[in-house]
Amino acid sequence: MIQFDHVSKRYGERLALDDVSWNMDEGECVCVLGHSAAGKTTLLKLITHEVQPTSGTVRVGTFTGGRLSRSNRALLRRTIGVVYEDFRLLADRSAFENVALAVRIAGHFGESEVVPRTLHALQEVGLHDEQARLPHELSFGQRQRCAIARAIVNRPAVILADEPTGALEPRSAGEVLALLLRIHKEGAALIVGTTRPEVAEALPGRLYELEDGRLRERPRSKSYAPPAGAGLPGGR
Amino acid sequence: MHPFFMREAWRSLTAHRGLALTAIYSLTAALTLCGVFLLLSFNAERTLRAVGDRREMVLYLRDDLSDADVQALQTRLRELYGTPTFVSRAQAWEEFSEQIGDPELLEAVDTNPLPASIRLKLRSELLTYAETEKVARSAREFPEVEDVRYGADWVRRLDAISEGLQRIALVLGIVVALAIVLVLHNTLRLTVLARRPQVEIMSRLGARDSFIATPFVIEGFLVTIFSASVALAIVAGVHQVVAMRVSGLVFLPPLWMLAFVGGAGLLAWVAGSIAVTRVLRAVGP
Repeated sequence: MIQFDHVSKRYGERLALDDVSWNMDEGECVCVLGHSAAGKTTLLKLITHEVQPTSGTVRVGTFTGGRLSRSNRALLRRTIGVVYEDFRLLADRSAFENVALAVRIAGHFGESEVVPRTLHALQEVGLHDEQARLPHELSFGQRQRCAIARAIVNRPAVILADEPTGALEPRSAGEVLALLLRIHKEGAALIVGTTRPEVAEALPGRLYELEDGRLRERPRSKSYAPPAGAGLPGGR
Repeated sequence: MHPFFMREAWRSLTAHRGLALTAIYSLTAALTLCGVFLLLSFNAERTLRAVGDRREMVLYLRDDLSDADVQALQTRLRELYGTPTFVSRAQAWEEFSEQIGDPELLEAVDTNPLPASIRLKLRSELLTYAETEKVARSAREFPEVEDVRYGADWVRRLDAISEGLQRIALVLGIVVALAIVLVLHNTLRLTVLARRPQVEIMSRLGARDSFIATPFVIEGFLVTIFSASVALAIVAGVHQVVAMRVSGLVFLPPLWMLAFVGGAGLLAWVAGSIAVTRVLRAVGP
């Protein structure tokens, strides 16, 4: 489904990714652990074609490497749901409008389709009662849940979460993780980039560590016990 | 057009009132200038057309022609050039008498020296100086015709005025079109940049360029339509004031007004689409 083949990415003198090769199948969960500026965001941006590799090939579904046309790039992004650390919600739109925008971008314009899809997604993340609020009227946890609702509303095959719990206090972080896991269990592939080992350990599937641009698979620590409030599956 | 895009355009307009007002001022100024010239041009063309309708060529006939010869000549002229009107020697004398008015002077002339003639009202496509001159040269070749007269200099001057007006209209049209394109390009560019975070988020969500651009294009279109309507109202006011001093000045007919506003709107749509697409290519992640 997603395949990196000897991918390197350089920003000027700085090497963000160094000869990275990995792949993941449909419905899989992959976590990439690494400190700040280790290259996690670059890795996710390569998947959404926000940046191009300096060398190597990135394949996402049927979209293979190279520079995609703008329309194909848009099409690729519509098949992926992305959750950002800083939420990236539109400040002047309510939670409902933020989620509905993604439905409209997917090409659904009839209110008969937009409204029920949006309300269902908000219900799934527990924000049904807050739908009329603007982002600044929501807590950080609620904002992230709104961003997740926007990412899942079109039922994408893969969800990318870039530091989804970075701005959240432990309880909200737990809720958000539980939500992502539930969506993953329903069939969506999940890629999470995080700096927090406890988040990485709380997620199932393969765990990779990214350090100085190099990616390597890291064995899971058997003795690891998730912290209280980290929100393991079913925690919400 | 889906109401969603209209709502988005309205949201953007109200969120960036300052930008929209600046664009409205600039566009109204350019379009008012264009409207005033359009009004002048329309009235000038109208006057020229009225004068042009009176462009006649006079073919003086030989004295020895029979009625059948004259009839045959008229038929030929009608087929080739326009509408002929026969003026007999007697009619010509009558008209001359009316123009002179002094009976003593007329009595001094023993016989009628005036020839019979045909006044030829040319078809509209033959009214340019070059065509009229060509008709005159051909008519002189007819054996029934003694001489051909028409106001050659006058026709040439009239054509020069008309051509000059058309040239000024073209130049002004291009200048105003460029002004609209520039104002819209800058306004929409600034609006897109002011809403850059929104544009970037939409792009990351997989929005097509057309999806992102449409509200901005509608915004430019609405601003231009509004500016064109205000400009037309100002031109109407100017017309009212001038018409009190200059008689015969008429305002633009509804079709011209519609073409003025519609043309500006169409130009805005095209210019807006190009401008926003270009800006999006530079802005989108």
